[in-house]
Amino acid sequence: MSLLKKIINFYYREYKLYLSGFHDILTNISFFFISIFIFIFSVGPSNEQLSLLGIGIIWTLLLLSSTLSLRKFYQDDFESGNIVLLYINGFSLELISLLKTFSHFFFVQLPFLLSIPLASILLNIPFEKIYTLILSFLIGSAILSSLGSISSSMNLLNRKNYLLGSVIVILLSIPVIIFSVGIIDQNENFNSLVSILVGILMITFAINPWASGACLKIAIENNQ
Amino acid sequence: MLLTQNISLFRSNKKIFENINLSINSSKIIMLKGRNGSGKTSFLKTLLNIIEPTSGTIYWKGKLLKNNLSDYFKNVTYISDKTSSVRELTLYENIKVWRKISLSNIKDDQIEKTLKMLNLYNLSNSKVNTLSLGELKKLELLRLIIDNKKLWILDEPLTNLDTDTINIIGKTFEDHCNNKGSIILTSHQKPEIRVSEEINF
Repeated sequence: MSLLKKIINFYYREYKLYLSGFHDILTNISFFFISIFIFIFSVGPSNEQLSLLGIGIIWTLLLLSSTLSLRKFYQDDFESGNIVLLYINGFSLELISLLKTFSHFFFVQLPFLLSIPLASILLNIPFEKIYTLILSFLIGSAILSSLGSISSSMNLLNRKNYLLGSVIVILLSIPVIIFSVGIIDQNENFNSLVSILVGILMITFAINPWASGACLKIAIENNQ
Repeated sequence: MLLTQNISLFRSNKKIFENINLSINSSKIIMLKGRNGSGKTSFLKTLLNIIEPTSGTIYWKGKLLKNNLSDYFKNVTYISDKTSSVRELTLYENIKVWRKISLSNIKDDQIEKTLKMLNLYNLSNSKVNTLSLGELKKLELLRLIIDNKKLWILDEPLTNLDTDTINIIGKTFEDHCNNKGSIILTSHQKPEIRVSEEINF
């Protein structure tokens, strides 16, 4: 009961943090839409071409936009010593990683969900594909949050090169992009592709707390 | 309560501290002294189970600390040399967040009284990023009252504070010890309080 209360209070803290940094979320979404416009201008006004490339463009930009927020995943709380304070207040490092991943998914990834229908209209994506795009985004973005947690915690160990985390996320998310885009164009193998994506989600979800927790522990020990 | 037996810490074959024996019982104030970089902060982090000692053992209430962490953390407040407040939130919002995270039972009027005593009451609705270093330190120290725990582990708690505030904090330390609490602190300034033991690093 006490742990549940602590978790609820943790999310109250996260809510306050993300609310105070709401401009970051707006910047991410602005980056997403400005990039879509740049693609439209560079590809040209052909509806057929946009419709063909649209889903790939949306997924690529979603990935790039979500990597923009990775630096804030643990960095601020780590530098201000809040990770240590949470640890002393009964949150294990693994639990902190897990809770932070959920809050990244809710406060950073989910706002993109509202942007997808508008982006789909801009890129002339057929209406019937928007549902599958949203479904693939829901699963895929949860995977990206888990990968983001691992790479951000690794970044704390290598503080001279912040881009390394983004490169790792982009590399590891290649299968996510392949299956997420594949879902939308496949009618026959739809269920099996969704199952593969959910499988990847489960694997990253299981690895994330232990990998991130271990990185946080080493980072705290090294930060004497 | 807390007992360390011959704890040592080495990093890359470099000695950080060696064979420290310490016994912290109730109503005791222990002060760690030493030049910058002598290992005081690392020692405090070892006491908090954040850093694993190279050798030696730490006990809490007669049990190995590692096996009794949950009870230990219920009794410890740690103030580091950093500012843990969220800079984009107001002073009052930070207090609210801390109260929730530590499941504090402290009453509003007690918080109000402490804020007034520390001359922070008028700043309640100011964002933390507008506060001075001394005010930030006072806000950090407010967590001692909010948490209301037995053992205080404090890393440079008096830095950036003016004489009046140092006296108030010294009085708070004494009250805490009179209520069977205990304190272990590092400081370059000696507060006007009765220190039970000094350990040189």
